[in-house]
Amino acid sequence: MTTCEVRQMAYSETNPLANEFGFDVGGPLAAAWIALLRVVTGWWFFHSGVTKIIEGGLNFGYGPAYLQGMTGTALGPIPVWMGNNLAWLIKPGVPLFETLIGLALITGAAVRLASVGGAFFMTLFWVGNAGFGHGLVNSDLMGLLLFGTMIVLGAGRYFGIDGVLETTGIVDKYPKLRYLLG
Amino acid sequence: MTQLDIVEKVATAFSAGTILVGIVGLGLVETLTGKPFGAAPMTNDAGEVVATPTVDPAIRTGLVILGLVVLFGVGLYRMAATDAAGTDTRREVTAD
Repeated sequence: MTTCEVRQMAYSETNPLANEFGFDVGGPLAAAWIALLRVVTGWWFFHSGVTKIIEGGLNFGYGPAYLQGMTGTALGPIPVWMGNNLAWLIKPGVPLFETLIGLALITGAAVRLASVGGAFFMTLFWVGNAGFGHGLVNSDLMGLLLFGTMIVLGAGRYFGIDGVLETTGIVDKYPKLRYLLG
Repeated sequence: MTQLDIVEKVATAFSAGTILVGIVGLGLVETLTGKPFGAAPMTNDAGEVVATPTVDPAIRTGLVILGLVVLFGVGLYRMAATDAAGTDTRREVTAD
């Protein structure tokens, strides 16, 4: 076996995509690209959340009003109910959770759990913005799909803290934690 | 990682179907039935609506959200039914 073949084999052994996709996994490009997507998506949310905190603290008053205006959408009465009854949570929750979701993705910690939150946010943005002036497939839907991609690929394992966390004893003891990490 | 069982296969196919029908299938209908080609109503210079989409965007977004929720359910089902998520199976490979 040549040195080159050994290197190729080593990459395949360490790359979790090796048995999932047909593209070249002989190089580190796929793993680096997933990590890059994760960090950029994280920065997007972190910036959105932290600038709200800087401007208005944990009191995002537009949040409940936005949800109250979501009438006639595919989500039915749910957003309006949330806007009317969960303002106490939404006002601090929007800036706080956007920031935390962003930090989680940037560092690669608990990425799947954070991405579920991100997907929830993006669903409300996609349906709520609802102008669809540039079509149904807009940047909000792409953001939603990005969070789905983070969940499906376990993006925190690529140059992220989840890759380390999953080697710890507590994850060995409770392996289902991998569904929240990764 | 174990293969998808029959429940997961059916649910995944259903999700893919609803998402693709919502975005591509009904998008094609919207395109073929004339203006507006997208999911937003057409307005004139005065801002009056002169044409509305053939398919209510709430139906299309609803199909996509339904598909994503079912996919999320597949994840929860797998979490409940199996011991652990796929690992990256790192192993030392000696170059001998």
